[in-house]
Amino acid sequence: MPLVVLVCGALVIYPIAFLINESLNVGDPSTFPPEQYGFDNFTNLTDDYRALANTLLVSCIATVLAVIFGFLQAWILTRTNIPGRQRLERLMELPYYMTPLIGALAWGVLLGPKTGLVNQAWRSLGAPGDLFNIYSAYGIAWVMALFEGTVAFVMISAAMKSMDPSLEESSRVLGAGKLRTALRITLPLVAPGVLSATIFVFAEMLGSFAAAFVLGIPGRFYVVTTEIWQATLSFPPDYGRAAAMGLSLFGVMLITLTIARFVLKHGTYTTITGKAFRPREMDVGAMRWPLLALAWGYIVVAVILPLGALLLTSFERFATVILPQMHFTLANYQTALQMGSVGPAFVNSLILGVSVSTIGVVVIGVLAWIIYRSRMPGRGAAEYVIMFPQAVPRLVFGLGLLWAWINMPIPIYGTLWLLGLAYFTVFLPLGLRTIASVVLQVDPSLEECARVCGAGWVYQMRTVTMPLLRPGLVAAWLLIFIASVRELGVSIFLMGPNSKVIAPAIVNSWLSSSSELSAAMALIQTATVFIAVAIMFSLARRVSGVTQ
Amino acid sequence: MNRPRIEVANLAVRYGDVTAVDDIGFDIASGELVTLLGPSGCGKTTTLRAVAGLETPSGGNIRLNGETVYSASERRNVPAEKRGVSMVFQSYAIWPHMTVFDNVAYGLRVRKLPAAEVRENVQRVLGLVQMQAFADRPASKLSGGQQQRVAVARAIAFSPSVLLFDEPLSNLDAKLRAEMRVELRELQRRLDITSLYVTHDQEEALAISDRVIVMNGGKIEQIGTPEDIYNRPRTRFVADFVGSANLIAGKVRGPGSNGTLLFEAEGGVQLEVVASDASTERDTVALRTSYIHLGSMPGSHNAVPGRIHRRMFHGDFIQYVVDWPAGQLIVRRPPTELFDEGSEVTVSFAPIHCVLL
Repeated sequence: MPLVVLVCGALVIYPIAFLINESLNVGDPSTFPPEQYGFDNFTNLTDDYRALANTLLVSCIATVLAVIFGFLQAWILTRTNIPGRQRLERLMELPYYMTPLIGALAWGVLLGPKTGLVNQAWRSLGAPGDLFNIYSAYGIAWVMALFEGTVAFVMISAAMKSMDPSLEESSRVLGAGKLRTALRITLPLVAPGVLSATIFVFAEMLGSFAAAFVLGIPGRFYVVTTEIWQATLSFPPDYGRAAAMGLSLFGVMLITLTIARFVLKHGTYTTITGKAFRPREMDVGAMRWPLLALAWGYIVVAVILPLGALLLTSFERFATVILPQMHFTLANYQTALQMGSVGPAFVNSLILGVSVSTIGVVVIGVLAWIIYRSRMPGRGAAEYVIMFPQAVPRLVFGLGLLWAWINMPIPIYGTLWLLGLAYFTVFLPLGLRTIASVVLQVDPSLEECARVCGAGWVYQMRTVTMPLLRPGLVAAWLLIFIASVRELGVSIFLMGPNSKVIAPAIVNSWLSSSSELSAAMALIQTATVFIAVAIMFSLARRVSGVTQ
Repeated sequence: MNRPRIEVANLAVRYGDVTAVDDIGFDIASGELVTLLGPSGCGKTTTLRAVAGLETPSGGNIRLNGETVYSASERRNVPAEKRGVSMVFQSYAIWPHMTVFDNVAYGLRVRKLPAAEVRENVQRVLGLVQMQAFADRPASKLSGGQQQRVAVARAIAFSPSVLLFDEPLSNLDAKLRAEMRVELRELQRRLDITSLYVTHDQEEALAISDRVIVMNGGKIEQIGTPEDIYNRPRTRFVADFVGSANLIAGKVRGPGSNGTLLFEAEGGVQLEVVASDASTERDTVALRTSYIHLGSMPGSHNAVPGRIHRRMFHGDFIQYVVDWPAGQLIVRRPPTELFDEGSEVTVSFAPIHCVLL
């Protein structure tokens, strides 16, 4: 069993080690091992400030927007008495399953210059030029903000919910008015949660790739992640520069995320007791209709409008909103499923999704048991290593994997095997977190009791441990499956001509052929994900119905 | 021939630098129920888990039915499933994914008993705990008290040689706890099953046990029958932890009448006390709150004037705080003996109830 830990640890550390090695390569970038070591790759990074400035611009705009969305949404849904809050709260998960890639495509369809549906309508009304050009810093920030808004919502509403309402009530009892209570009690208590959400979203923004890729490349607008991608495409590919950029980005993200965690841990006054309070709802009176509209507005703009645009486009021969010009067709779906390498990309993604999640759940299940149940020495370090990929931007990890496996004597580069291995490595944290939450919930005495009753380890695992962990294992399976089907950052580096997968295929189709076809592909991918999500929730409901 | 069922000698359990159990030893005879009593963190549960095989000791010996199951010197550590003991857990550890029947049948099925025999045994033990009607219920649909009964049924189903209880009643409400206490003791007597029982509730320990082992800080403070522990505490800790006692500071001044010792408490109060040995080093007398009389008791040895400072009505008893020359005394009297706050009383108690520590 310790072998499992060692192998998984090696899978994580190996690509990072290669990345560091390559970033110090100042000789011919495509030779391995490097002929000359030095820091030139890092010092040369300062030559070009544009990508860095762009990244900061996009990240700042998106963070501010996302936190505003998240805060408003969290406040409306946890603290006011608008009708139908519970349903809205559940719907708030949807934007998260949309992915920035789908969002970027959809908003490209809606607000692309000249061809965008909204811009078309705008022109047909006789207005000059475009209403808005999504192929810009603001466009990228907008798409990312809609996605990250959900993340901010989850973090801020958690802070609002963990606040004991009696803290506010005692302020009122001691004679402070509503406003004074809000300013002196509520705000300071929620502030650390909002601050850590802000920093967290900012860090995620720095490493984000898909939206900047889809919406930035056509307008030659580069951020650090797309610049890394570009460096590997140049001739000769400048892997050293890409690696140095990736590591610097990783470093900045790591520092930012650490600050976010520090703020959350040390700046929060509301002690986390594991107790969920139902916060006192504020009677907002007639304001509740505008607030309700605002809450629904977010869902409409983040989910319904983009999906609607993709749906309309995917059934059209030419994307348009002008009625007389509409020609509906199923040809896009037909092409998506048949066309050359696109059909196989779907099949490959499904094969990868099923096999990575199946193998992943078994291996990660064992890992979780070793880390959280056994008394193996060094299990704390093992947990740290396995959770590590979480802190590395996916694209940077992909670069490390690319470089690591190109230079491996095992000939799996360009095959599905490598993609499978890469997915497994980057989804280790996701799987471990999901399974760990269930392992930690299972009272150890349930297992001990089986031993005392005379059961050996295998018998105990079969009759007690595994059945009790089943809900967690199923959830982990589905989450890894969903993540695999959506994966872009790693896949884009590692797929070969015979091992295409769906997300990069959609991006390529978007950049090289038609938006109608891309829309159809994106919808098929989204539908796959939503079906998996639906299964997950219906299972979760059934399982929790049994145990309660 | 009457070899003890459980023999623990020089047992030590250490986690790194922390010593949870520090060189303890005790024997438990066949059919006996012995309680490990102590505050949380005193090592009682660790000791129990070491006997069960769930905790690996750092030193000493454990024998069950004459067979060594753990020995540091022989490097022998029989795994839990091979020790033939059974255990009732604090959390009950009822498997939520099984029915009541499957839970109880577990130990029998592990031992590969034929289905008919499994059924028969399960019915029998469910009958013993009055849970026959619940056999086909999913175990997750049981109340706390029912879970506790199923846990007991499961523990006795495969006729273990030794039964271990880890605070089995601590999650029940007070009334149910008192009922289950009686039932558990009844069951243990009827099946004549050797039991080691862990609790932090001194009342429970006194009520249920043949003998009590009081533990503190990983060490044994005293082993004895409940009456022994209550009437003749050997240390300040035992006097304070078991029952409620007044600890009176003072000095031994020499022999008194009828073989007693003369003890001078603070404020010059002279008391006659008894002691097992004549050691004059000791400086505290323990006096149970319910052994003190209020009013006048002619002919008694220790009679001192006092005044009722505070009265608290508890229902089953009244607790008085009495000012007397040596400070304050806590006194418990039956609710029939009513004194007003501020009234003058004579405090008196027999020398035999004054235990010199």
